[in-house]
Amino acid sequence: MKTEEDRPRRELRVARRTLIKAAGATSAALGLSGLGLCGYQAGRDPDSYTGCEGLQGAAQSFNRKKFAVDEPPYEKVGPTRRADGRTEVIFSRVGVARSAAQMGKRIEDLDEPFRSYYEQHPEDFELDKQNSELRRKVAEDSPENRNRYILAEAWADAMGAVSPRPIGNEPPEISDFPGRRSRSPFKMKSSAATAKLIKKVSYEFGTVLIGITKLNHDWVYKYPSSRRGFAMNEPIEVPKHWEYAIVVGTPMSWDPMYANPNYGTSNDAYSKSRIVAFRLASFIKRLGYAARPHTPGNSYDLMVPPIMVDAGLGEQGRHSIVITPELGCNFRPAVVTTNLPMSTDKPIAFGVQDFCKNCKICAEQCPSGAISKADKKIVRGYKRYQLHSSKCFNFWNSNHGSLGCRVCIAACPYTRKSNWVHRTALQVTANDPTGISDKLLAGMQKRFYPGPEPSDFYAATLGGKNASYREPPWWLRTEDFIEL
Amino acid sequence: MGFFESSFFWFIEGLFACLAIIALRTWTQDKGIPMPFWKWPVVIVWVLFLAVSIAYIGTSIGEGEMDAAFFGTIFAAVIASISGVVAWRLLRMR
Ligand code: SF4
Ligand code: SF4
Repeated sequence: MKTEEDRPRRELRVARRTLIKAAGATSAALGLSGLGLCGYQAGRDPDSYTGCEGLQGAAQSFNRKKFAVDEPPYEKVGPTRRADGRTEVIFSRVGVARSAAQMGKRIEDLDEPFRSYYEQHPEDFELDKQNSELRRKVAEDSPENRNRYILAEAWADAMGAVSPRPIGNEPPEISDFPGRRSRSPFKMKSSAATAKLIKKVSYEFGTVLIGITKLNHDWVYKYPSSRRGFAMNEPIEVPKHWEYAIVVGTPMSWDPMYANPNYGTSNDAYSKSRIVAFRLASFIKRLGYAARPHTPGNSYDLMVPPIMVDAGLGEQGRHSIVITPELGCNFRPAVVTTNLPMSTDKPIAFGVQDFCKNCKICAEQCPSGAISKADKKIVRGYKRYQLHSSKCFNFWNSNHGSLGCRVCIAACPYTRKSNWVHRTALQVTANDPTGISDKLLAGMQKRFYPGPEPSDFYAATLGGKNASYREPPWWLRTEDFIEL
Repeated sequence: MGFFESSFFWFIEGLFACLAIIALRTWTQDKGIPMPFWKWPVVIVWVLFLAVSIAYIGTSIGEGEMDAAFFGTIFAAVIASISGVVAWRLLRMR
């Protein structure tokens, strides 16, 4: 029987249980708020700027072995043909069309090989001729609009200010080989150890991504795109010592990249990748082997994206740029061709081909319509997506800031910083064989991370709104620092 | 390393989780709600969903992705409410 003396003990027990419940409820609320704040911190964290968190290869963290495949994830469907660097590279042909426009020339007035190219692609001739006019129209924009990009342009110039001396016009049989100081090649102990060494020193040189492959000659230009020891009108005979290709890649600064087309630049990553490639070539030559850097902007004798795919760095996306698991497509690559024997990396397939099939965000966001929503085409014997480079380059000349666009890079769902949200999404798509998550995540991406109307990216004088994909970072807002 | 990436933060989160579980047990005992083993996963899954949603909304705000935070909140609120009603009914089952 309960007595009066038991009452305080009962009350105490009730009070204790109430306290436990109150403490539990408070803990649950605090714990959940803590997770919210932890998430907030993860979203802001500079450590999520993948590729900028430190050297030593820490950023190349994706478990590629799990997704390694024997054959690269592109399809060879017939006889292949090497690209003509003189005409199929926009930077090589665009000057010819520009001067044709100035001199009132028609396609039939042009010299070979441009005449044949433009006869087959008359639309490109019309587009390529327009660039000077587009630039002029952009320059007519109000000073108010133009001046907003003073800091972005200064920053882009500064990022391009340091560059190794380009390789001269000596043929590769001379320029790729070590100079007088070096001896005959050192005998390396094993190709696996050499690959490990090359990767380690490349990280030390500043690369974020690196992969090694045997060079597929289909990727070497049939005719050169720039003079680098080759005669412009003679087919390139692939030098025997171009046995291997080492691909390196570094990211563009994340915040300006998201504020493309007018606040970002490729110069920062161009410069870093160029420096890594030249350092690497120098290192290899001191070991007595041949090495040639192929570097951005247009100092290549070959096409880089398929070499990146062969080297296991990623897969080529709908926008034609390679998508890597770590950096998405926010990087700029360089290649070193060499005869230093190394073990090679396997290509990887981590779900990009399936994802691109229904995503199409880059095509929807592209202001120039250069990215197709249609299926892959057969290009030089390979089934792949093809970018319409003349349309793309037109848009480079239709906006403010440093030359370029890069909106497709910013909009691609794979180009996301390294925090738990995006890393989890990557793992889900990479490991889901059903394709359900591809559809779900692409749908969420469109709804949750929308961009401006594509036409808004154009300069105001071309009917646009000078829009950028995201707001510029604080340190590129000219109006906050300079009296205009 | 900031506080939110430290082991100390996760230690405190663990402490909060323990307290919340003890409180839930006490509360169900007081209400006379039996808690067989299968009810615990129901509660844990629902709380985990809520936790991940809150962390997602926080991350989106941190990234400056306000649309993602907004739609994330709506999405999470709808799912959490519907699943919460279902979980609550299951929890009250005797
Ligand atoms: S760089 Fe711009 S214009 Fe060119 S394909 Fe990408 S989004 Fe389109
Ligand atoms: S935006 Fe979508 S379709 Fe385009 S490359 Fe990226 S994943 Fe593929």
